[in-house]
Amino acid sequence: MTEQLPIVIILGPLLAATVAAFAAWIHPKASHPLVVTGLVASFAAALKLVFLVAEKGAQKYWLGGWGAKPEHGVVGIQITVDHLNTLLLAAVSGIALLTALYAKRLVNTELPGRQRYFYALFALLITGLLGIGITGDIFNLYVFMEIAALSSYALIAYGKGRAYMAAFNYLIMGTMGACLYLLGVGFVFIKTGTLNIDNISAALPALGQGQALFVGFVLILLGAWAKMAFFPFHGWLPNAYTHAPTASAVVLAPLATKVAVYTMLRVMVTVYSIDYILHSPGIQSVVLGLSSIAIVVGSFFSLTQTNLKMIACYVVLSEIGYMVGGAWLANEPGLTGAMYHVVADAAMTSALFMAVGCIVYRLGQAQLDDLRGVFFKMPVTMAAFVVTMAALIGVPPTCGFFSKWYLIQGAAQSGVWHFVAALLLSSLVKAIILFRIVEIGYNRVPHPSVDGNPAIPRNEAPLSMLIPTVAMALGLIALGLATSPLVNTIIAKALPATLAP
Amino acid sequence: MENLIANFNYVIVVILMMIGLWAMLAQKNLIKKCIGMAIFQTGIILFFISIGAKRLAKVPILSGDGVPVVDKIANPLTQILMLTAIVVGVATLGMGLALAQKIFRQHASFDEDDILKNQRK
Repeated sequence: MTEQLPIVIILGPLLAATVAAFAAWIHPKASHPLVVTGLVASFAAALKLVFLVAEKGAQKYWLGGWGAKPEHGVVGIQITVDHLNTLLLAAVSGIALLTALYAKRLVNTELPGRQRYFYALFALLITGLLGIGITGDIFNLYVFMEIAALSSYALIAYGKGRAYMAAFNYLIMGTMGACLYLLGVGFVFIKTGTLNIDNISAALPALGQGQALFVGFVLILLGAWAKMAFFPFHGWLPNAYTHAPTASAVVLAPLATKVAVYTMLRVMVTVYSIDYILHSPGIQSVVLGLSSIAIVVGSFFSLTQTNLKMIACYVVLSEIGYMVGGAWLANEPGLTGAMYHVVADAAMTSALFMAVGCIVYRLGQAQLDDLRGVFFKMPVTMAAFVVTMAALIGVPPTCGFFSKWYLIQGAAQSGVWHFVAALLLSSLVKAIILFRIVEIGYNRVPHPSVDGNPAIPRNEAPLSMLIPTVAMALGLIALGLATSPLVNTIIAKALPATLAP
Repeated sequence: MENLIANFNYVIVVILMMIGLWAMLAQKNLIKKCIGMAIFQTGIILFFISIGAKRLAKVPILSGDGVPVVDKIANPLTQILMLTAIVVGVATLGMGLALAQKIFRQHASFDEDDILKNQRK
């Protein structure tokens, strides 16, 4: 029975997506429970697989049984759950499940009458993201990438005002990224004659440092960078996620970019190899430089913004730099940090956008000046927000501290001091943002406990939104406390053999 | 030069892709951006089809118990991949045009500069 688990991860949301829009004809409220059921199945399978992978190693599955026997040759698509992607799959399906519960109230107010399409697109997006994470075939990855991208364009375009233009710019950038990726796949296919990741990585060492393979590598990277909004391809992200409906932004911001980072990690670690990167002169120092710039630029712009959603978007941009930089340090702590940070950052960004979503739901606006007294109005939400910001700053024992610890160790080991400086600067900037919000939200109103001052009525977000937000914020601490078992039993084994400690 | 003539398919692919990329990034008109996107995708489709093609090759249908001679049949995999990529391309183009139409209804213009000016008001 457990050998069928990998496919359940994709089938849950996929089946939910296909029936969700039509189920609303039978009963108008049927879409949401269907999507939640699909995600529960997906999350349960992903969670079970984490333990299975930790215990028995990689789980492989041939779709339709094609390719399972030697006489089938290389036809058929393989899906793989191994040490590199199992945590990502659990994180994506888990965060998607919590977000589906969280978004119900928001969807009802933001998109009245269109809930069914939202839930169908939501489930389709999660199918695409989980598909990217699970597939063992680089062309199949392209198809899932476009499934996820097309549904996210539609999810963003549901917003008001500038959302159409933001979605259009994202569409142009995203299509360019996907096409570059596809072209890179073509180069790899010419040289190796296969699309299966295992077969490619077996064939590559014999082919040496050919130009075609190098061009393919760079094209795939450029494609992944455009998708993850890495500097200098970041232009589309802040507008797209700010003008999208909050319900869409809450799911897109944490997951879509992280899955693109995973694509890059998969190509770097499994398809090509770390040795290949170390033997490609020049490119490593350029990417590390770009990562530092991405962190600094993201941090700088997050300070200049006055809109809470915009600030959160630029925080996402600077976090992308962490992961790309960590991966390109190409040493043991750096890669560990990058792999751990993919999961940790998905959780942190999710908690951040959930808290911001709660504030926007109650206050209607997300300008910094509107936050006066917010700590008295929404104490629980703001507590979750402070925990999330602490994780983003890197305060122990939250998960943000551990990933940053690994990344700084990796950078120091390779002597890349500008990356260390960028990481510390970004922590500092996030601390400034937190204290600014505390200052506005707590100090700029007469304190209600002092006699004579007007009382500020409690106006907490509804429970259906508050519980997932608090759960996510507590999850950040739990994830931090679980760091050493996760790193020792799973992430350490995802590292290439030449780097393993 | 001989190299270029022998690999003229790649030259055409590169020219198509550059036209597409230029239109996507440098043009101000949203419809022209969509056209550029379609040209860019066509370039990639042509690239894949041309790497699977062989001179005087037959269709890859096996008859009876004949053992396939790899040199004599076109590679079916690239064509199947591009079937998928064409479908993806159509969906993306449709999405792009639908968004362009919505933007036109909002701002009565396809020109990026006009739209940005309109949004600042």
